Amino acid sequence: MAPSHGDSALASGSRRMLLTSLETRSTVYVGGKGGVGKTTVSSGIAHALAARGRRVLVASTDPAHSLGHLWRVSVGDSPVLLAQPQGGELHGVELDPQATLERHLAAVRATMDRMLPERMHKAAREHLDLAAQAPGSHESAMLERIASVTELTGTEFDTVVFDTAPTGHTLRLLSLPERLTGWTERLLANRDKSERYQAAMSSLVTGRHRDEPESELRQMLHRRRQRFAAMHTDITDGSAGFVAVTVAERLPLAEHAELVAELDVLGIDLAGVVVNRRAPSESGALLKARSALEEAALADQPPAAPGTPLVSLPLMAEDLTGAEQIARIGSMLTG
Amino acid sequence: MKTLEEAYAGPYRQSLARDRRDEDDLFTLVVLGEALGVPDPAAYYTMELMPYLYQDFHAWHRRMGIPRSPLDHVACC
Repeated sequence: MAPSHGDSALASGSRRMLLTSLETRSTVYVGGKGGVGKTTVSSGIAHALAARGRRVLVASTDPAHSLGHLWRVSVGDSPVLLAQPQGGELHGVELDPQATLERHLAAVRATMDRMLPERMHKAAREHLDLAAQAPGSHESAMLERIASVTELTGTEFDTVVFDTAPTGHTLRLLSLPERLTGWTERLLANRDKSERYQAAMSSLVTGRHRDEPESELRQMLHRRRQRFAAMHTDITDGSAGFVAVTVAERLPLAEHAELVAELDVLGIDLAGVVVNRRAPSESGALLKARSALEEAALADQPPAAPGTPLVSLPLMAEDLTGAEQIARIGSMLTG
Repeated sequence: MKTLEEAYAGPYRQSLARDRRDEDDLFTLVVLGEALGVPDPAAYYTMELMPYLYQDFHAWHRRMGIPRSPLDHVACC
């Protein structure tokens, strides 16, 4: 059965809705289950925005980067120009938190050397190396890198499109700013209490005052808290939008539903849903059967609430790599 | 005069000092958590607080009832 005229008008309306929804954002996160086509969709979206005259950066946060493979060029931790469609610019970067972690370690080492007597330097450095290997450290460094790339919006770029790691990792990462704000606040509350006891003591017996390191420590915690709170605002104030990508099969759709629910809990806007690789209903028995299965799965588990832009991409025979194919995906998503 | 003041304020001062020390000890425990084997999801950020705690480390682990340094590489005693 060929799609009726009404269906195709509806679909083109959805594509315009998606574009409108994305044009108002300074950051767009593209996420979903592994293998559903996040990298292709994020580059397609980035290309479509660039084709409207914007300066766009597509940034991969998945440690298993595939952005360079998609574009068939070498992409690294510094942005490279990928395309210049219609007066816009599209740059790409594969974020590598290792360098960020190294810089952070160097800064902490410098503080240690300044504050500690020489005989303790070696011990302190070994301790520091341990902390650097903690499982969460890499993730925090990625968060820092994302925050620094986000800061480029409004100056070097109009929009940053993040091609994210599979669902679980990305949700954890996006929940970090809020959780870390809480962590800093608890530590600051602890320092406040300690300070009050100290002040009460000083009022009983004059003389002793809190030393310099303590105030440095508090300043550091205050700076961190402000930064985490700003990160949290960046992802929840509507300037960021999330595009959830899925395929029309039952397991990916179930994970997709969880993703959408979790985004709501985190307060992140769902800017649109892309159902990728839809089987055609009119080319042979096998694909026709697949198409019917997909229809049933979508009817059981609708991937988007009414009002959320929902765009489908067809299953395609071509190898979807290289600039030309990405431009094509971009116009199929938004045209 | 000094002695009188000390006699009056001493007990309060001791109690306040103890309360303050409890807060400081808790802080140290949180910041050194990862190195002590408690997974710390914020290790990236706690590590920048470590320099401020090292000087008191020996006294801390003694107060915690740990006679020898619990960190292999910190041979404070």
